[in-house]
Amino acid sequence: MHSLVLDIAGTLSAAANLFVVAAGLTLVFGAMRIINMAHGSFYMYGAFAVTTVLGVGAGWRFWLALLAGAVVAAVAGLTVEVTVIRRLYDAEHLTQLLATYAVLLIFADIGQRIWGTGYRTVNPPPVLASGISIAGGQVPRYQLFVIGVGAAVGLALWLMLARTRFGWLLRAAVQDPESVATGGTNLAWLRTGVFVIGAFLAGLGGALIAPMQSIAPGMDVSIIVSVFIVVTIGGLGSVAGAALGALLIGLAQTLGAEFFASWAASLIYLTMIVVLAIRPWGLLGVPER
Amino acid sequence: MHTDSLASSAEHDQVHLARPPARTTAGTVACVVVMGLLALAGVVWSPAALANLQEALGLVLFAVATNLLLGYGGLVSFAQAAFYGIGAYGVAIGWLHWKLPFWLGGLAGIAAAAVAAVIVGVISLRTRRLYFALLTLAFTQLFFVIADNQTAITNGATGIFGAMVPAWLAEPQGGYYFTLVVVVVVTLACYAFVRSPFGLTLKAIRDNRERAEALGVNVYRHQLAAFVISSIGCAIAGFLFAIYSQSASPDLLSWTNSGEPIFMAVLGGMHTFLGPVAGAIVYFYAQSYLTQHITDWQLVLGLLLLVIVLFKPSGLAGIGADAGRAVRRLRARTGGRA
Repeated sequence: MHSLVLDIAGTLSAAANLFVVAAGLTLVFGAMRIINMAHGSFYMYGAFAVTTVLGVGAGWRFWLALLAGAVVAAVAGLTVEVTVIRRLYDAEHLTQLLATYAVLLIFADIGQRIWGTGYRTVNPPPVLASGISIAGGQVPRYQLFVIGVGAAVGLALWLMLARTRFGWLLRAAVQDPESVATGGTNLAWLRTGVFVIGAFLAGLGGALIAPMQSIAPGMDVSIIVSVFIVVTIGGLGSVAGAALGALLIGLAQTLGAEFFASWAASLIYLTMIVVLAIRPWGLLGVPER
Repeated sequence: MHTDSLASSAEHDQVHLARPPARTTAGTVACVVVMGLLALAGVVWSPAALANLQEALGLVLFAVATNLLLGYGGLVSFAQAAFYGIGAYGVAIGWLHWKLPFWLGGLAGIAAAAVAAVIVGVISLRTRRLYFALLTLAFTQLFFVIADNQTAITNGATGIFGAMVPAWLAEPQGGYYFTLVVVVVVTLACYAFVRSPFGLTLKAIRDNRERAEALGVNVYRHQLAAFVISSIGCAIAGFLFAIYSQSASPDLLSWTNSGEPIFMAVLGGMHTFLGPVAGAIVYFYAQSYLTQHITDWQLVLGLLLLVIVLFKPSGLAGIGADAGRAVRRLRARTGGRA
C-alpha cells in the first residue's frame, strides 16, 4: 500500500502548487473584480527567473531563486497594473479578458527574447533532493516542502484578510469603494498593492514548480486554464474556494492517471462541468446578479 | 436601430443621428461591388493568392457566426472553436473510417456540432457572465483533450490528412468559388437572423436581461437557440477549413483558437454586422504578413489588441463611422450636399 502514500503526497503537492497560483488570481478578482489572463505570464516568469538565478549549480541559492522568481513576477505585476489594469476597473469582463490576453501575448514574446524558446530544467536544493520514508513509501522531500508552502500561503492570506487593517480595507473596498476612498485611503494604491500580491503569488507558484517539471514557453497558457478551472470551481473571489478547487483538481488528476489513463486529462474538465452544472456560481461563490 | 441596413449598420450605436436614405443604397451598391470583385478575383488572381483568400473567407464566416453570440447576444463563448473543429473532423473522420461521401461527412460533422452545442449550451447557459465564459472554455478543453487522446478515432495530435475532398473542390478555383458562395449565403442568413424578431429579442436580452424577462421572454431558450445557431455557423466554417486544408487536427479545438474569432469581431467592431467581416480580413492578412516578416509577431498583435480594447472599443467600424461623420461635417461646412 506504499503507493497510496505517494499518491496522497503527489496529489497534495500538486494541489498546493495550484492553490498558490490560484489564490493570487482569486484574491485579485475578489478585491477588484478583475479577471487577469496575464496571471499565467507572471507564473511563467517566476519559473524562468528561477532557472536564471540557478544558472550554475544549486545550493543555498535555491532560496534566493525562489524569492527572485516571486519578486520578478511582482515587478511585472506592478508594471501591468499601472499601465493596463487601472483602465479596466469598470470595464466589462470581455474587455478585461481581451486586454489581459493581449498582455499575455506581449509577455510571451518578451519572455522568448529573454529566455529563448527551448525548455529548461532545474534540480531541487540538496536538502530537499532525497526522499523521506513515510509508511513504507519514499516521499520526495520537495513535495512536502511544496505542501508546506501552500499551507503557509493559505494561513498568511487568511491572517491578512481577517486580521490586518489592509485586509479590512480590502474587504470594505469591494463593498463600497467610495466610502473607503472618502475615509482617506488611497484606493489606487490599495488596488495596486493587491494586484502586486497576486502577481507575487503567481511567481512563487511558478518558482515552486520549477524543480518538478520542465520550464518552457507555453506554460503561461496552460497554467491559466488550470487556474481558471480551480477558481471557478471554488467560486470566483473566494480564497477558501481556491483551496477546495485545487484539492478537487489535484484529486481528479491523480485518480484519472490511476484508473482511466486515456481519459485522465478529461477528468478535470468534467469535474468543473459537473460542479458548475450543480452550482453555477462555484462551491463557495456567491450567486451573481 | 431597426432601420440599419447591411452596410450602414456600422452606426448601430448612433441611433439618434438621422440617416439619409441614400446611404442605404450606397451601402448595398458597395456590397454588390465587393461581391463582384471577389467573383472576378477567382479568374484574375494567382492560385496562391486565391488559396489565401479562401482561407480568409472561412475565417470571415467563423467571426460572423461567433459574433451572433458575442455582439448580439452579449455572450462570451470560448466553445466556438470546438464546433469549428467538429465541423472539420466530420469530413476527416467520415473519410478516414467509413469512406463516407464527402458531403455526407460534412453534414454529419455540422449535425454533430449542433448536438454538441445543445449539450454545452444547456449546461453553460445556466451560469452567468464570467462563469459562462470559463465554463465554455472547460468544454472546449474537454473536446480538445478527446480529439488529442482518442487516437483510434482522430489519429491524436498528428491529425488526419489526405485527399478527403472531391477533386474539383481541391482545385484553387473550384474551392474558392464554393467557399465564396457558402460564406455569402450563410452570412446573409446570419444577417436575416439578427434582423428577425428573434434577433431583436436577443439584443433586448443583451441590453437588459431583467426587463426582457419581465416582458415574458424566455431568456434561457432564446440564448440556447442562438447558441446552437452560432455553433452551426462555426461548424460550417470548420467544414470550409477541411476543404481548404484537407486536414483536421486537435489544434482547431484549442481554446486559443476560440479567442481568434472573438479578436476578429472586436477588431472590426462587434456591435456591427459587417465589423467582424472586416476584422477577419484585416486580422488574417496582418497576421500572415507579420509572421513572415517579424519574429515577435505576437508582441505586435498583443499591442494592437491592447490599443483597440483600451482606446477604440468600437473597432474598425467605429473608426469608419468617425471618418464618415467627419466627411459629412466637412461637406456640410463647404456647402456641398450632405
